[in-house]
Amino acid sequence: MTIGRAFPVFAIAFALIYIASVQYNLTVVTYHPQIAQWGWLAEAPREGQGPAMYWYGWLITATLGAGVVAALSLALPAKPIERISAVLVWLVPVAMIATIAYILRGYFLR
Amino acid sequence: MFTFLLIIHSLAAVALLGALTHQAISVWWPARQRTGSFVSSLRSVPSMTYTNAIVGLFVFTAILGAIVYTEYRITVRITLQDYRLRVPEGAFELKEHLIAIGLGLLPAYWYYWRPALAKEYARTRAIVTSLLAAIVWYGFLVGHVLNNIRGFGS
Repeated sequence: MTIGRAFPVFAIAFALIYIASVQYNLTVVTYHPQIAQWGWLAEAPREGQGPAMYWYGWLITATLGAGVVAALSLALPAKPIERISAVLVWLVPVAMIATIAYILRGYFLR
Repeated sequence: MFTFLLIIHSLAAVALLGALTHQAISVWWPARQRTGSFVSSLRSVPSMTYTNAIVGLFVFTAILGAIVYTEYRITVRITLQDYRLRVPEGAFELKEHLIAIGLGLLPAYWYYWRPALAKEYARTRAIVTSLLAAIVWYGFLVGHVLNNIRGFGS
């Protein structure tokens, strides 16, 4: 299964791009739940119309970005990529979880 | 409607939690011989057969969570902020990011559970499965606590 070897690369790239999207708000869309409206890219909350949600946009950014990276990885030699991916596929998500916990530390440390 | 979806979301999460926990236990602590005891049965589940169901349940639960998330943002989160409940609010923020990372991990999880890779990547498969199980456990517990604070139409 040739295309399958890009899946671990997708997971690695997804975690990295997702956390970058959160940190720099690289969102494709913004959702305004109170008025049930979508907007392109990062929109500020509209005055008097509730919060703005970026999570869906971060997911789209990470999916598209990781998809491109995974597709490009298919052009690289299979064996070395598979060997490196087998470690990075869990190491990178764990590192990204630690990163996001650090970013959110303000909620837990007073 | 949101209450109904939240209940379905919770039930799907319970099923996912059970399947992933079974799989994680059986992959780290497989039973050499099934003795008929509860622990032995727990360790000797045919792990590979769980994979597609876990992927499906994870995606289904996440989609339902993504729908009810809008209600959380416009009602529950505001309450948490009003009462200065910073830790539950932060715990939920962390949950949304962990679930996102879990979603991104699913294709790799599925790939490493393919029979052809059964022996070659046993350790990677075990770690990825455990990571997903930890994410689901965290998400479940945080969701449960948040629901106790303000859930089900309160």
